[in-house]
Amino acid sequence: MNAERQRPQDEAATELTRRAPVDLPPPEGEEERFLRPFAVDAGVLAPRPGGPVEQLEMLSRVVAARTPGRNEWLRPERETILTHAQRAGTVVELAAELGLPLGQVRAIAAEMLAEGSLQRCGPTRSLGHSDILHAVLVGLRSL
Amino acid sequence: MASADSDTQPTEAIPHAVKIIVAGGFGAGKTTLVSSVSEIAPLSTEELMTEASYGVDDLGGVEEKTTTTVALDFGRITIGTDIVLYLFGTPGQDRFWFMWEELAAGALGAVVLADTRRLDTCFHAVDFFERKGVPFIVAVNRFEGSTEYSAEEVREALDVPEGVPVVAADARDRKSSKEVLVELVTHVLRSRQAAMSG
Repeated sequence: MNAERQRPQDEAATELTRRAPVDLPPPEGEEERFLRPFAVDAGVLAPRPGGPVEQLEMLSRVVAARTPGRNEWLRPERETILTHAQRAGTVVELAAELGLPLGQVRAIAAEMLAEGSLQRCGPTRSLGHSDILHAVLVGLRSL
Repeated sequence: MASADSDTQPTEAIPHAVKIIVAGGFGAGKTTLVSSVSEIAPLSTEELMTEASYGVDDLGGVEEKTTTTVALDFGRITIGTDIVLYLFGTPGQDRFWFMWEELAAGALGAVVLADTRRLDTCFHAVDFFERKGVPFIVAVNRFEGSTEYSAEEVREALDVPEGVPVVAADARDRKSSKEVLVELVTHVLRSRQAAMSG
């Protein structure tokens, strides 16, 4: 590994930056969006003893099964999701409303489903694919 | 866990969430079309992807990764109390194929927006939907100063089969965009009926 000699201090410097406290005022712009998600879903995707975490589609609908608890401030994204999901909503809309990347919201929501803080909710009225297509056609025509 | 799937008894009716994809090259008018028919200002989220970078500095096995964000814009049309239709614009760059896969899954169908000044930019979209078996139509978006081509000329250039509608559109115009969607859903229904009877 001849690379060893090429990076005397750079790596140490990178390491220090990463370990910097996270309670600094969040920077506006790219840096925050790039760094934050890794902190947000830390551990979420780790293998679980109970089997793989449920896969959520972007249009899967979830609803909060409880109100935010007292200890929720430790995990602000969860608190925000619980607050927003008091009304059933799709994962993709949740991500857009929270301003978080879809992948992160999906991962956190899957974890919250597994622990029972969120619940999936299916359509109230079951419709077949043809019924949906016909209804969409009628709906679009009347726009 | 099984309990996570158990039904809740919400007070409001929960509609079906269905989607239509609006694809096409960069600048073909995807977001414009979504905006013109959506009942809300298009929402935007992003997906992060991490890619290994092949920089000039070889760090000898040190993984250098960069994170790129892919914007995902979508609009919404409420179809009665039972259905909400979402319109997703595809990310413009070809290298974000992984997003297309997910967008295509379960989609009712797709609109390929073609810009005749740069027709090649929508070839990928046509290839993709053909390969995935996603029903689609081609909408030729009108741009100021672009040459008018007939639907047949566009069909021939894109090499799409006779059964796939090729229509003219003005993505800025709500009525025109709405007609494009009507055309798509009509096509999807027609294809299904043909498949069932055949």
